[in-house]
Amino acid sequence: MQAPAQARHATGAQLALTILAVILSGTAYVLVTLGKTGRTPPDVGAFVAIIGVAYLLAHLVVARRAPSADPALLPCAAVLAGLGYAVIYRLDPDLAAAQFGWLLLGLGLFVLTFLVVRDHRSLDAYTYTIGLAGLGLLLLPIVPGIGRTINGARLWVSLGPLSFQPAEIGKVLIVIFLASYLNAKKELLALATRRLGPFRLPEPRYLGPLVVAWAVSLAVLFLEKDLGSSLLFFGIFVIMLWVATGRATYLVLGLLLFAAGAYAGYLAFDHVQLRVDVWLNALRPDLIHDQGYGQLAQSVFALGTGGIAGTGLGQGNPGLIPFAPTDFIFSALGEELGLFGTTAVLLLFLVLIGRGFRAALAREDGFSRLLAVGLTSVLALQTFVIVGGVTRLIPLTGITLPFVSYGGSSLVANFVLLALLIQASAVGPGREPRGGRHRFAQARAAGPVEGSADTTVVNPGSEPA
Amino acid sequence: MPPFVLTVLKIVFLALLYFFVYRAIRSVVVDLRAGRPRSARTKGRPAPSAPQTTRSSRGKSPRAVLVMDEHGAKLGSYRLDGTLQVGRAEACQIHVDDTYVSQFHARIFSRDGSWFVEDLGSTNGTYLNSRRLTSPSQLRAGDRLKLGKAVLELRR
Repeated sequence: MQAPAQARHATGAQLALTILAVILSGTAYVLVTLGKTGRTPPDVGAFVAIIGVAYLLAHLVVARRAPSADPALLPCAAVLAGLGYAVIYRLDPDLAAAQFGWLLLGLGLFVLTFLVVRDHRSLDAYTYTIGLAGLGLLLLPIVPGIGRTINGARLWVSLGPLSFQPAEIGKVLIVIFLASYLNAKKELLALATRRLGPFRLPEPRYLGPLVVAWAVSLAVLFLEKDLGSSLLFFGIFVIMLWVATGRATYLVLGLLLFAAGAYAGYLAFDHVQLRVDVWLNALRPDLIHDQGYGQLAQSVFALGTGGIAGTGLGQGNPGLIPFAPTDFIFSALGEELGLFGTTAVLLLFLVLIGRGFRAALAREDGFSRLLAVGLTSVLALQTFVIVGGVTRLIPLTGITLPFVSYGGSSLVANFVLLALLIQASAVGPGREPRGGRHRFAQARAAGPVEGSADTTVVNPGSEPA
Repeated sequence: MPPFVLTVLKIVFLALLYFFVYRAIRSVVVDLRAGRPRSARTKGRPAPSAPQTTRSSRGKSPRAVLVMDEHGAKLGSYRLDGTLQVGRAEACQIHVDDTYVSQFHARIFSRDGSWFVEDLGSTNGTYLNSRRLTSPSQLRAGDRLKLGKAVLELRR
């Protein structure tokens, strides 16, 4: 990098924070076992050693490939994952063992993402391939034979012994596609020529792929009955369109379409009506023993029981909440760590999301900027939807709390997302996105150490140095 | 395990958690101060990483740039407007014919009413007041940019 002092500062800070994150994860694991059984877990040394090595490798790959990247992103995710693991272990040790495997796989793919995608801007070249792959994954659960319906939503795919939620990795691909597509077409989309009532719209043919994206998010809603994913995709899509064009018209239009879609969904589906009714009447005494209403009531009770500082890890009864390791993990955490704990979790997300948007603002090339915005929005929307849902701010929609909830597909996909976000946050002086400068910028970014020696090689147009 | 021990451990854990949050936010704040273009609000306070920077006492936003060779002879003068690329390529708005200057060497651009300079990955680097640029930096009247043998002086 051309910014040695700054990069050294960034990697040093990241190392310190990552070590702290591993210590926190280990402490949470010890405390949860202490609270539950009164003894320290015998395997805590092995636990800390394994995640320590895994996170250290992840740290090293960031330090080598993107030394000027944001230092807070990886450690924040690590603490969230560590807290999540402790709570899952507390609820169900078998599930925790699986989650531990997913965590290691996630970190493995995190490193692999850095090794395969040496420069995230090279993804800009595969707009439609990535877009089609994303759509394919999104719609895969509809395919008869391999799609599975679990808990009322058809978002699982079973291939032999392997079952996963393709939408989780699909969301990352869709963000890459949108970043690439919108960056190429933003001028055309910002240029409004057609009038529609108070709105001015661009030429219809440029809107084509966007209409497809909207239709797919509706298809997800209607065919897979997956409210969460549908909301997430449409949200990302509107936000990125708005950021790319800088036109608030799209935001207003998006909100109107969302309102129309939500109302149509409410009228068309019993389970959407139930969600709204549960949200409004969760604490009605006569309904509280009903499973649907009860789960939200238990969630709110858990948060209430936790109070300010919580019952202590391992000492509450978060097992009373249905789906505690997945949808309701935030409430389980709130019962045992209280308002302080949940606030800390929200602060961690705030740092993660704030840094993501900050990285987007600092980027000069449109693709990196949009990519950072999109990936960050995924985390932000998911956090808002699920935390808002379990705290009864908005109707509950089943979706994972990024990095914290149990769920292999989600955890692995979020670490891939994080790898791309960290790459997009790396500063590279003189990185220009397109045209003649592109190859050059890419070659520079790929070089592990940008000293004067290898810059002379990659920039033959220059002179004797 | 007595309950009060667990309570103490819980408080220690929460304290550690908040210490992490504090450190994460702090690393970010330090990062903001160290590398980014300084905003108008922090004007006059030198960044920690640039103690040797000599700032002009006027320090106002520049309006023009004067190009000189190594002996101080004037080669041209440009008004700051839009984005100006500096380099040996003909396409550059500020064309500098010097073998030690890269084809597309640096870029001068405005953001929120202030002017910034950014190195475009040049071979020999861009120096602002004898400090090598590592990130986009704000320009003020009186600043001197050195690219290869050429000197660019920012004028009011």
